[in-house]
Amino acid sequence: MDSSSKPSQNNWKGLFYNIAFFLNGLLLFLLLFESRFSVPYWMQAIGRMHPLVLHFPLVVLMLYAFWVLIVDKPDSVRWNSNLSDLLLLIGTFTAVVAAFSGFILSKEDGYESNTLFWHKWMGVAISVGSIAWYGFRTYLTPWKLSSKFFAAGFLLLLTIGGHLGGNLTHGEDFLISPVADLSTEENKIPLEEAKIYADLVQPVLQQKCYACHNAEKSKGGLQMQTIELLVKGGKSGALWDTTRADLGLLLNRIHLPLDDKKHMSPRGKAQLTDEEVVLLAEWIKMGSDFDQMVSSLSEQSPVYAYAQNVLGGGRTEEQYDFDAADADKVKELNTTYRLIKSLSAESPALFVNFYNRTNFKSKDIEDLLALKEQIVSMDLSKMPVKDEDLKIIARFPELRKLILNFTDIKGETLGELQKLAKLRELSISGTSVRITQVKKLKEIPSLKRVYVWSTGLSTEEFALLKKEKKVSYETGYRSDTIKLALNPPIIENEDQIISGNTAIRLKHQIPGTTIRYTVDGSDPDSVHSLVYSKPVTIDKNTKLKAKAFKNGWYGSKGVDKYFFRSTYHIDSVRLITPPDVKYPAQRDITIANGVKSDNSPSSGKWLGYRENDFQAYLLFKKPVKAHNVTLSMLRNVGGFIFPPVRVEVWGGKDEKNLKLLKVLTPEMPVQTTGNVENLSLEADFALQELSCIKLIAKPLAKLPLWHPGKGEKAWVFVDEVFVN
Amino acid sequence: MEKQVFDFGINTTRRHFLSKLSLGLGSAALGSLLIPDIFKGSGESDMNDLVAGLPHFAPKAKRVIYLFQNGAPSQLDLFDYKPMLNKMHGEDLPESIRGGQRLTGMTANQAKFPLAGSVFNFKQHGKSGAWMSELLPHMASIADDLCIIKTLNTEAINHDPALTFFQTGAQVGNRPSMGSWLSYGLGSENQNLPGFCVLLSRGKGNGQGVYSKLWTNGFLDSVHQGVQFSSGENPVLYLNDPEGMDRSQRRNMLDKLSELNQGTYEDFGDPEITAKVQQYEMAFRMQTAVPEITDMSKEPESIVKMYGPECLVPGTYAANCLLARKLSEQGVRFIQLYHQGWDSHGGLPNEIKGQCMDVDQASAALITDLKQRGLLDETLVIWGGEFGRTNYCQGTLTKDNYGRDHHPRAFTVWMAGGGIKPGVVYGETDEFGYNIVKDPVHVHDFHATILNQLGLDHEKLVFKHQGRRYRLTDVAGKLVNGIIA
Repeated sequence: MDSSSKPSQNNWKGLFYNIAFFLNGLLLFLLLFESRFSVPYWMQAIGRMHPLVLHFPLVVLMLYAFWVLIVDKPDSVRWNSNLSDLLLLIGTFTAVVAAFSGFILSKEDGYESNTLFWHKWMGVAISVGSIAWYGFRTYLTPWKLSSKFFAAGFLLLLTIGGHLGGNLTHGEDFLISPVADLSTEENKIPLEEAKIYADLVQPVLQQKCYACHNAEKSKGGLQMQTIELLVKGGKSGALWDTTRADLGLLLNRIHLPLDDKKHMSPRGKAQLTDEEVVLLAEWIKMGSDFDQMVSSLSEQSPVYAYAQNVLGGGRTEEQYDFDAADADKVKELNTTYRLIKSLSAESPALFVNFYNRTNFKSKDIEDLLALKEQIVSMDLSKMPVKDEDLKIIARFPELRKLILNFTDIKGETLGELQKLAKLRELSISGTSVRITQVKKLKEIPSLKRVYVWSTGLSTEEFALLKKEKKVSYETGYRSDTIKLALNPPIIENEDQIISGNTAIRLKHQIPGTTIRYTVDGSDPDSVHSLVYSKPVTIDKNTKLKAKAFKNGWYGSKGVDKYFFRSTYHIDSVRLITPPDVKYPAQRDITIANGVKSDNSPSSGKWLGYRENDFQAYLLFKKPVKAHNVTLSMLRNVGGFIFPPVRVEVWGGKDEKNLKLLKVLTPEMPVQTTGNVENLSLEADFALQELSCIKLIAKPLAKLPLWHPGKGEKAWVFVDEVFVN
Repeated sequence: MEKQVFDFGINTTRRHFLSKLSLGLGSAALGSLLIPDIFKGSGESDMNDLVAGLPHFAPKAKRVIYLFQNGAPSQLDLFDYKPMLNKMHGEDLPESIRGGQRLTGMTANQAKFPLAGSVFNFKQHGKSGAWMSELLPHMASIADDLCIIKTLNTEAINHDPALTFFQTGAQVGNRPSMGSWLSYGLGSENQNLPGFCVLLSRGKGNGQGVYSKLWTNGFLDSVHQGVQFSSGENPVLYLNDPEGMDRSQRRNMLDKLSELNQGTYEDFGDPEITAKVQQYEMAFRMQTAVPEITDMSKEPESIVKMYGPECLVPGTYAANCLLARKLSEQGVRFIQLYHQGWDSHGGLPNEIKGQCMDVDQASAALITDLKQRGLLDETLVIWGGEFGRTNYCQGTLTKDNYGRDHHPRAFTVWMAGGGIKPGVVYGETDEFGYNIVKDPVHVHDFHATILNQLGLDHEKLVFKHQGRRYRLTDVAGKLVNGIIA
């Protein structure tokens, strides 16, 4: 070390020592006249340096004290004394800076409490003690026993003083709260048993208000620790008043700006959270009842939501107190028909689901006994579980939920389930259990819900069960009193064109339904119409109508389908007039291609005419013996598609030798006629040989007055023509 | 340096080595106490184990049935009762309310936006006093089992992006569907059936398409893809053995095939090969499991009456609801229904009547049915579309006829069961039903909450793909605590 720097170093040391001495004096002086001292605003910044500075003396002085404690020979001291002196000086200097700034900080709002009192005086003791130590360091040589006691005492002072300071900024139980929480978690009160005041409001007051409003230290004359004192209020009066818009003093003070002197809790102290403020407001609004249960609130109430957050609900998992099962064992017992899985990645509990009825054996349950300590839920629905199997199931002591829907149990051994002390939920829907057995279920100690829908139980027996308080029974939906309309039957034949004897098949998906039908165009009824038992054979143009009927149901709407007989294949067609450009379909071949369209005008299978008549020749290479021509046409009133006003059928050897065979004047729709229908216009005439047929169909020139398009031209649509 | 290492090697005594070792072991032991999962095996690939995932925490729901009302039902004619619209019927929507909302090409050029009050009567139902219109008598009867969220909101204004957003959490395609995420996160319960099934039906109203990208597995393993059931008599096609082939022959064939595949796997180590083998095996088991499920003939008449007689007509919404219940009962994790026909841009009062006739009874029946079997607690049922419909009329407004355009800012979805609060109406819209005034639920929030009910933390359910980790909720989503029981 450079010798020239030595004096200057000593000067520095002296200077620091002197400043420290001076500050200690100032500190003691101010303490003496504390009540008359008020902090000038520019000094507040010094006060707020306290948290920054305080760690230096804490660490440095502790280091020094430790060093004193472990030194045993004067020998080693000489070697270290320069360093150790410097250490103590730094400690001393920073200690007084910390104490001084701490003192100034303590003058700010919000730090009045016992803790502060002790912290302040210990801080002063550390500061004064350390400067004394520095001053007498030559007498208090480290290897002396007295020095060691002094050092030990100093360590204790630093620890406690520091801890109290920590408490001031972070709250009383900051240090041990993570550990303390563990032990209290178990004691959380279930939501159903919680009271609004005792379990929600009081804890808030306890955390945020009691510190200043207690028996020893009733700021503003207010004590809050008992219900009586709380109701009484403080110097300024009662705490709440529901007739006032701000609900009274308590909430008024809470809602004041943080800077306001009267804001509660005072600045610097732990503040109420928004949720806590809402809780207090709602509780006061509801009449500040000290006994009201949380469960009496609607689930929409903000207090209920608060309770859920505080007391659980949300994401809290049920705690299981058993160990997880051996993973290999679980894996071994898992099959494609028996799923065994953990409830979640963290849970030791297992659930089991069974699938596929045909593969099920009782042994499949028995095998699981290896995991009986972990299985909490078992779903056996639709498996052929027998009464005896319940004896095996009764050996799973951890079961909470058991689903036996649509199993083969008769209920003889339901009593066995009483051994399941933890069973909460039992589903026996769709089984043939009887009331006497079901009634005994309430003896299962933890049972809360039973599902008994679709069992053999009667309505009266259900009513009896509903009276039971401890267990709630889900009886499900009953259909006896409900009467709905059946859906119409289905005509299975897709092809509407028949060429000879054809079997028409009808069906209905609901078992036990009677289908009645007619082939004469009349509406089927439930008494006179033919009952469908086997396919209906038809061989001519037929409109088949059918309805479905069943006891306990209203009859269905009718379904109908027109079957067109087509005896002769038309060799070619020639359209005399072109169809409208919007509906050309496949032009000439459209009406003889054997393809029926559905009732959609835009299917591309309809020829549409509006400006002119539909006129076409049907040509046969060999003469055919015919007595009937049938046109399949469309009615779509809303779409301006009407039947033709006049249909003429001409026939003969060729185009030049035709005579009028038949004229049809189809009935025009009236306002009440159904909107859409596939029409069959049949022209019958005397049997004769024909090689050429000419058809003319005239569209309606003016739509009737009731129609939205009154006065406009109607359309004529045709998709197929049949010759018989 | 090398010499130092060498010296260190020869100078270390046995005692020295053991004492150091014990220190190291001790610190590791202490560390493992503090981080309990640290020594649990995680490196092993779960590719060859179809029973992969476990929930992160105890789930409220095990399964989901999502009754998707494709095309977007009008919340203003079903759930969100706004008498103000009737009062101001025909008046222009104030610009202050519309607030610059982006409009679809269908109404963007409209000169006026006349408000259209619903023609249907509303009443309050159940203890919760939920408003529902006369179109939904069956749903109204179970109002106290439903949690009606009036404040869903989305970013998309057209069907395809909105639907894709709801299904995959992103408006563009190729991300995994919600059902695939669940299958990936939780695995299948019943290994004889796929974990994610899709059922389609269509009503008579104006329809919008659905396509297989909505149930895609995206970048997840292909076993997580949704399996679309056919709407005909045979819901799963090609499941029957060809004529003249019996089960044992099929078994032999599969055994030989899997031997060959195993050989290839040993050569190349491609996990897709084992995935394929397992798919074959599942198909084999499905041959017995599926007919058992799709056989409706054993359903008691009370069930038929409950869902309505249509439920036995394959391909109808009612039949799909019933099938969904049966699949769910058998452990299918996610069942996605789509019912088309809600896109009523014109003639809404008439179209919506038909749509409600299709879905009202069966939707309500599904809830009641699950409840009576004790399954509603563990099954989450969701009903809703991809967005809502506007409070103003699209096209010509008359006294009793109007159309409504797409509205993304606020619409109604309901949930039931699965640990969701029953009998709750959540969120509020303004008196025009246009904007949310309280408790908005964004699609990401909705996804986060669904995952939460199934025991999954939406921030932890991730898959690394192309160098980044993907989530269903992308980088957003917060739990809707107000609806969680």
